[in-house]
Amino acid sequence: MITDHTLLGLATIMYLGLVFFHILYFVWQKEKLLSAVQHILYAAAAVQAAGILMRWAISYRLGIGHAPLSNYYESLIFFSWSISVFMICMRKRRLYPAITFVAAGISLMLMAYASLSPGVERGIQPLIPALQSNWLHIHVITCFLGYAAFAVSFICGVLYFFRPGGIVPTRENLEDINYRSIIIGFSMLTSGILTGAVWAHFAWGSCWSWDPKETWSLITWIIYALVLHLRFTGGLKGKRIAILSVVGFASVIMTYFGVNFFLAGLHSYAT
Amino acid sequence: MSAIKSDKMRGGPIFRFLVSVRLTIITLSLIAGASIVGSLVRQGASEEEYLSLYSERAYHFIRLFGLDDAYHSSWFYLLMGVFAINLFLCTLQRLRRLMAPRERQAPDLSGFVSAGSGFATDPVNREEVVRRLGPSYRRERVSETTELFEKGRFSRYGAIVVHASVLLILAGGLIGNISGFKAYLALKPGDEASAAMPRKPGQSAVVLGFTVKCTDFRVSFYPSGQPKEYASDIEILDEKRNILKRGRIRVNEPFSYKGVYFYQSSYGRSNVYTFKADGRTFELGEEQVARGVRVPFMVVRYEQDVHNFGPGVMVAYMDADEPKTLWFLSNVEKMRSHTVNGSKVSLENISGQFHTGLEVSRDPGVPVVLCGFTLMLAGLYINFFTAHRRIYLALGPDTLIVAGTTSRNKEGFAEDMRKIGGGLA
Repeated sequence: MITDHTLLGLATIMYLGLVFFHILYFVWQKEKLLSAVQHILYAAAAVQAAGILMRWAISYRLGIGHAPLSNYYESLIFFSWSISVFMICMRKRRLYPAITFVAAGISLMLMAYASLSPGVERGIQPLIPALQSNWLHIHVITCFLGYAAFAVSFICGVLYFFRPGGIVPTRENLEDINYRSIIIGFSMLTSGILTGAVWAHFAWGSCWSWDPKETWSLITWIIYALVLHLRFTGGLKGKRIAILSVVGFASVIMTYFGVNFFLAGLHSYAT
Repeated sequence: MSAIKSDKMRGGPIFRFLVSVRLTIITLSLIAGASIVGSLVRQGASEEEYLSLYSERAYHFIRLFGLDDAYHSSWFYLLMGVFAINLFLCTLQRLRRLMAPRERQAPDLSGFVSAGSGFATDPVNREEVVRRLGPSYRRERVSETTELFEKGRFSRYGAIVVHASVLLILAGGLIGNISGFKAYLALKPGDEASAAMPRKPGQSAVVLGFTVKCTDFRVSFYPSGQPKEYASDIEILDEKRNILKRGRIRVNEPFSYKGVYFYQSSYGRSNVYTFKADGRTFELGEEQVARGVRVPFMVVRYEQDVHNFGPGVMVAYMDADEPKTLWFLSNVEKMRSHTVNGSKVSLENISGQFHTGLEVSRDPGVPVVLCGFTLMLAGLYINFFTAHRRIYLALGPDTLIVAGTTSRNKEGFAEDMRKIGGGLA
């Protein structure tokens, strides 16, 4: 029987194929391979979306129906999918294979970790009362779209340190994509924090309680706010912005993973 | 927040520092750094907990700088205060600059053309260019020969809106801190309270000005044992015991009365243990001592399941001057009664009762904060996703120059200009 795990497993294999086809393209530089890469990206994202929807449907069959955005496993899959969606939504002419290659690698790693790690609970669990709210959807979706955008910014930041030419895009293009990713990520992270605060107001009786997740999301927000200000009013460019995008993403990683593992708090259901 | 260097700065050096972006960057970095420290050091724990986690010297250091409650320490408030003043002044300055009368003169259009954001065409094409620009542009005559087509002027106010929203959120937080309260109530069905317990030890109870009565509390579980739903029914009573309001509080669905909000934040279970000793029956709660028997005793521990033998309680009593403990298991015949110093004590029954845990708070700052949230999202949209576009149509003796600038997305603008000029060269 086809279950959500079948489809998500298939998506993982497709991401592996996507990484592989990128390498083939880098070796042979054939246009046909590039077009194959794009089609595999669309297909992988579609299969993954089908897997997520299937999981949603199955949860209703189990009588504990809820959107698959409620635990660590589901968030890893959604994060991986968000990165692909971000790639698909990018304009064709900004879709550099070097960027999609790293993005596919990150998606693959997230999927592999989600489906193979013994520490990740993969079953569909019922929702605890605090999570039974419509704010769940908008909060999780905005946060992870933000994380995905910051992942793209991170990729641009890292690629900046490679010599342009060949498969590496020019520094102007990388800066442009980096900047666009940061403004989308910043807007999404802001929306995520604000929807979370409104939800916290209804669920816990306080908009902001300095829970480690909240605190680290604020730290991430401040870092990207600083990046935007340094760029606009400080005229900071090039290498420094690239370094800051890597630092910003390190803070995203801490907000998403680190807090769950190192610091206890109200968001403990995400582990 | 921009401090353009060529702009004439008013005020002395201190004022100039207070409105500078440098100060913003310093304070924001310090706030981020303080938040990191606050998230790594355990917050709001007791002295014993700190001493078990850190060395004594580290604990003194923590206490000295208020790191055990970093986000409410005076230096953190000071940091926030400096940030707020800086943001306020920057926003005012930026607003003043935007409101100042603008130059009407057209900039160097040939420069725009050579940069790719404009083109030259035959003057007869003027009507066609205007048609292609569409109705979304505002027209304005700049000089005899030059017309300005402008769109998205509000886009320049985006940053101001975002900054104002941050100030509004901070103000809302301050209002809540000064005039609000946070407290807690634990009620069994049938219990009532007219004051809520403070969250922090040492603070006094909050007198509500009315009485809250818990009429019912229910909790349901998933087969896995996790809570599925819990809800309390409460009534608000005045001093003459008239019911002023009644309602149900669920998780995520608070209940409010006169600005005081009640949140279903937790629940707990408290047991009543029925014992027989010396022929008398005792109903004991937690930590309650059975007196009037030869050997006074009390329940010190309850276990849902003792080594798979079912529920049990640990009872403590004094044997001469020595404290001793004994286990009673309610499901095991032999373990249900013991002889304690010659008198027979038996556990008759354990009955459990749930109590509801309600978060009680009053926060007049919330509407202000919510306004700030809305404003922030609107401001971010205006700032990042709309652009201020200015397109000049300059009529020369035998050419029409169409060229302009945009505040954002230069690439998209150049593309649109190519479209407008398409086939008109």
